[in-house]
Amino acid sequence: MTRRTWVRLDNASNIFLAARTAADPKVFRFSAELDHEVDPSLLQLALDTTFDRYPLYRAVLRSGVFWYYLQDSDLRPEVQPDLLPTCAPIYQPDHRTLLFRVIHHGRRVSLEVFHALSDGTGALWFLTDLLVAYCRLRFPAEAATASEGPLPVPGEPTVHDDAGEDPVEPEHSLTVDSFTRYFRRRRGRGADAFDHAAAPGYLGAEDEVQDEAEASSEAGAAPPEPSPPRSALMHSARVHRVRGSRTPDNRPRVLELSMPARQVIALAKQSGASLTMYLLALFMESIRRSSGGLGRSRTLSASVPVNLRQFFPSTSARNFFATVRVEHTFGQGEDDLATIAQGLEERFRPQVTEQALSARLHSLIRLEQMALLRIVPRPLKDVLLSWANRINNRGLTVAISNMGRVTLPAPAEAHVRRMFLHVSAARPQFCSMSHAGILTISFSSPLVGTEHVREFARHLSERGVDVTVAATRVTEEELAEGAPTDGEHAGEGPVGEAAAQQDRPARQHPEEDAS
Amino acid sequence: MSRCPDCDVQVEGTWRSCPLCGAATAGEPVPASFPTVPLVYSHRRLLRVLALVSLAVIGASFLAQLLLGHDLGRIGVVRSVWLGLAAMWLLVIAAISKRRNLAKTTVYLVVLTGLICVYWDYLTGWHAWSLTYAIPSVCTASILALVILVRAMRTETGDHVVYTGMTVLAGLTPLVFLLAGWVSTPWPSITCGALAGVVMAVLQIARWRDLRHELAKRLHL
Repeated sequence: MTRRTWVRLDNASNIFLAARTAADPKVFRFSAELDHEVDPSLLQLALDTTFDRYPLYRAVLRSGVFWYYLQDSDLRPEVQPDLLPTCAPIYQPDHRTLLFRVIHHGRRVSLEVFHALSDGTGALWFLTDLLVAYCRLRFPAEAATASEGPLPVPGEPTVHDDAGEDPVEPEHSLTVDSFTRYFRRRRGRGADAFDHAAAPGYLGAEDEVQDEAEASSEAGAAPPEPSPPRSALMHSARVHRVRGSRTPDNRPRVLELSMPARQVIALAKQSGASLTMYLLALFMESIRRSSGGLGRSRTLSASVPVNLRQFFPSTSARNFFATVRVEHTFGQGEDDLATIAQGLEERFRPQVTEQALSARLHSLIRLEQMALLRIVPRPLKDVLLSWANRINNRGLTVAISNMGRVTLPAPAEAHVRRMFLHVSAARPQFCSMSHAGILTISFSSPLVGTEHVREFARHLSERGVDVTVAATRVTEEELAEGAPTDGEHAGEGPVGEAAAQQDRPARQHPEEDAS
Repeated sequence: MSRCPDCDVQVEGTWRSCPLCGAATAGEPVPASFPTVPLVYSHRRLLRVLALVSLAVIGASFLAQLLLGHDLGRIGVVRSVWLGLAAMWLLVIAAISKRRNLAKTTVYLVVLTGLICVYWDYLTGWHAWSLTYAIPSVCTASILALVILVRAMRTETGDHVVYTGMTVLAGLTPLVFLLAGWVSTPWPSITCGALAGVVMAVLQIARWRDLRHELAKRLHL
């Protein structure tokens, strides 16, 4: 039918449109490294079946007079070889294209998603189902034995959080809920019905907060964005920001560090902080060390996305996260890693309780309902939001996102090794996740410089962590060096093997599976 | 896999120097996990600057006419050529920038052409040719063009119905000119209004629900 179903883009997602820049197209990429060369034709078959189960992924993005909206389409996705830089732009105004792509390169399968469509958790559901479907096709014998078991579970990944519960539910409701029904549900949302709003995976009014120039939300591909407290702006004058030369064609500089998860977890334990805050503290310390002196801007701040599904159960794959801002000021007392990490932890914890988040979301949703803000035409909203976003960016040094430990359903788990999360970024950022006992930390930055990653990696290797680094080539010289030899058998990450052998799952769970 | 002795890390890929510190790596390189993607430069910014400069020149050209008065005598032909070039360039820019949706392009062109004609008529001393002939013929042509276009291109109803509606509304305006007595000859306005009326009736009967659906979507608050 020509009368296509549609759903208004929620505010949390609107910010990704307003904050899009050439260097940061708000795209994130999940990659899974398999134990064999990917078979593109089987991957296509797997994609076809997975795609049919996710009505949301059929959506194209269009602009109305007051809002953007997602509209159902008849487009079909095709798996593509990896020919573009990681996290290349997906959404282009006026082009009606799907908002994600599936890529293969050597042993890697990657899913790139425009952040307005889904957040990290939602995208991971899709990738998990894709990997399960692919492994079933690739290893039919195993799939057969597996299905003799209780049930051939259509993949739901398990993202473990601190509490040790399994907050991630299958996305099946989306299959049951058609695009239309889903939309109606959203539409029926009342101003006061937070639970209702939360259910569809909806973080209200991130953009109105932006209008008030107090929130941030940007940089964040999978690691969504920050809505820092008011203090963020008041302190922004003293917040350190990393400077340097940008990459020549705006592609992100991505560096992947892989290491055995248990080694890092042990270090985090020693410091007495959670893994996320330990890594963040190390990140800040690395930036301080590579800055050549912080000067007067001695405060380093970070935005940390929090997956709201942990607190407000939702099976929607749409954006459903909030961001929390934490900071550390150097030169005010002890600056050793453990102290920084514990200090960050102390600032972080109170902000991620159900009550704190719920109170914030209530006020955000109230803002969203304000008639005055609703009648602002969309192009003007975009301008206001991007201004607010730019102001907010001044108060942020880095962003991080920890997806936590991921376990895949049966047929996929045995064949997937490392998993990665890359993002396009407006500032130095890292995304970490662990699978099969290997923790991967993927740094991205719009800048060429890698000094902070060097400090980060050296700190870990000095403490006996076996770090492996992989880097994208971004400058002309690097590309010239890489061009002749790369190519045919790309993607064979021997680390995968090495690490897979030494791994026996580390029973420790990084927290807040971000976004 | 090669190794950076200074950073004490393993290096994946074909790096001969450590991507972190630049020191020479030791050991056998392994194939990279990422493809080596050549640099790509986007011309978008350049095109944008060119478009903005063009718009400024066109705007200045139109405004400059105000200083010249109504009757230029023999050099009036220069003005016509000048205005013609500026108008054409403006329409080309509009058509290119909106090329993704021909129905939308049509509406843009109707509005721009109409405004230019009225202004031009005013500059040359107001003989009402714009309201009498230009606007009715442009509107007539646009309605016919859209009716043919959406059939030929099999455009989805949702993608054109709002724009078709807009051309129909524009097609009714010559009737207003006629009633207000602003035209010197009635038949172009009557023709245009009649065509618009017929298409509007068809829209009402056949596409009313689609139109409402599209408007509800695009104007959603």
